[in-house]
Amino acid sequence: MNDLRVVLVSLKARLVSTLITSGSVAVAVALLLTMLSLRSAGFEAFQRGSGTTHLLVSADASPLVAVLNGVFYANAPSNPVSWEKYGEIRSSFPYEWAIPTLQGDSFRGFPVCATAPEFFTKFQPAKGEPWQLREGHFPEKNFEVCLGSDAAAGTGLRVGQKVQLTHGAGSEHGHEHTEFPYTVVGILQPTGSAHDRAVFTDLESSWLLHAFDRREREGIESKPTVADLTDADRKITGILLRLPTRPGSDGSAAIQQQFDALRRDPAIVVAQPAQQIDRLRGIVGNVDGIFIALGVAVLVSSGISILLALYNSMAERRRQIAVLRAIGLSRGRVQGMVVAEACLIGLAGAIAGVVLSVVGGFAAAAVLKERIGLVVHPDLDPRSAMIVLAGAVMLAALASVLPAIIAYRTPVADNLRPSA
Amino acid sequence: MTQVLSLRDVQFRRSHGFALRVPSLDLSAGEMALLSGGSGSGKSTLLWLIAGLLRADGGSIEVAGQRLDAMRESDRDRVRARSIGLVFQTHHLLPDFTAEENVALALMAAGEPERTHMPRARELLASLGIDRPGARASDLSVGQQQRVAVARAIACRPALVLADEPTASLDTDSAHAAMEVIQKACRDAGAALLCASHDPAMQARFPRVIDVRGFATVEVPA
Repeated sequence: MNDLRVVLVSLKARLVSTLITSGSVAVAVALLLTMLSLRSAGFEAFQRGSGTTHLLVSADASPLVAVLNGVFYANAPSNPVSWEKYGEIRSSFPYEWAIPTLQGDSFRGFPVCATAPEFFTKFQPAKGEPWQLREGHFPEKNFEVCLGSDAAAGTGLRVGQKVQLTHGAGSEHGHEHTEFPYTVVGILQPTGSAHDRAVFTDLESSWLLHAFDRREREGIESKPTVADLTDADRKITGILLRLPTRPGSDGSAAIQQQFDALRRDPAIVVAQPAQQIDRLRGIVGNVDGIFIALGVAVLVSSGISILLALYNSMAERRRQIAVLRAIGLSRGRVQGMVVAEACLIGLAGAIAGVVLSVVGGFAAAAVLKERIGLVVHPDLDPRSAMIVLAGAVMLAALASVLPAIIAYRTPVADNLRPSA
Repeated sequence: MTQVLSLRDVQFRRSHGFALRVPSLDLSAGEMALLSGGSGSGKSTLLWLIAGLLRADGGSIEVAGQRLDAMRESDRDRVRARSIGLVFQTHHLLPDFTAEENVALALMAAGEPERTHMPRARELLASLGIDRPGARASDLSVGQQQRVAVARAIACRPALVLADEPTASLDTDSAHAAMEVIQKACRDAGAALLCASHDPAMQARFPRVIDVRGFATVEVPA
């Protein structure tokens, strides 16, 4: 027999109360750890869409808008970049690659991104994770599309089916380009980025589509060919740029130099996607601070529930305490047992909370991926886990102070009388 | 003969006017004495004073050669754990602990090595006729509970056992049987027994009877 055994038997005697109280600690710890885990993992996930791009050029109003539109497909970019400008930028520096993109059309609300073949062969949506096809192939000829995984799931389209794109981003009721049916030739594997929501095609097809509209307005009814395209038809809305880097490195001193050089051009906006996403993180960081504060509040409330559970049990345990004192246990030792009880409740709850947060983190990650296509790898930081674990035990110990004082002050003789 | 209990001019006063004054009381090793007196006469109060659970206002209380009245509370707790066994009217076993755990608690309090707790508890319980040492105290009959309480009292081989009305709730035959268990256990353990009982039938079982009424006074406030 030892003090721990006495404490464990006492806890077992009040099993329901012990489980409920530990459960409340577990939920609070899990909530807090999941928040902390998803907080960092969530922002890492936001970085995925920009992939291996160093610089993003567009004619949007600001670099942040350029990233929101160009990486996250928030809206169709409002201003185009001319093909001539693209050529000028491309030849201004020995970029590793310079990939043009054109956004503005959509299919059943999913944004369409017209781009060059290098988009699939050179650009990677996440570093070290190139595009992978679940089915079919990338667009090789005009009027072929391949679908991001969410777009495929959302539309139910299969390889071989014909689709007609809509003018305007995100609109299901815009003008349909009925004269140019596209063929679905591929479906992409999920990338965990906003690209999963997109429909991809080649630039020429999009240019032809809009050239047809232009020619129609000009009274020319025949379908245009590539030869009919004018410089005005060859518009793009974004350029993804990557500078040469040393093997094994993703950075280069030239990125900042080139960024500064491109910024001097008033006709374009240039953004470093990683920087803008960090900026976005700074803007929304306060919001997740509120969630963390809520988690701490829940943890404190679970501490109060430990206090209440122990406090309420004190009335029925006065005789037990008196007996322990009568057989020779000191006040301090009995008081220590009450504190140990609370600490064990806190520790058990905190350990359960850590397990719950790992399970909950994966569950939340699955929901995020399913609902918004955000790939989050919930990574439980051992240091955070230890801090929260120690905090829960300390909170439990703090909650036991009042019940422990009651135990300390329990009058022995009065509680040993038969009528007590 | 060695004195295990020696009280000199012990005074104790309660707020409502009850007062107890014991000019002298000695108990030798292995001696058995009965504290007699009606309800409220101060028998239990005297036992709690001797056990160090109440603090006397004056005088000296010596148990097994140690002056309890001069000690700090934690030291009194230690003396109580090692030298004094307590038996209560309602046994006061911890209901969620097994019979052997209840006995082992006393050994734990006395600071006996942990490995000795269960073997000693089982040995004592077997000697007192308890064949289910692993049963929860609340699952035992009243008679079995009393035996467990006696085993707990003598577990750490105390010099003195204090019993507070251990037969109060029993019929005459059961009371004699219960007292026999306590006395035999004390005899076997070599412990002195000071038993408080208002039952006159118990007086014949003790070679010495101390009437507590001679110690108590009730002061009426002016």
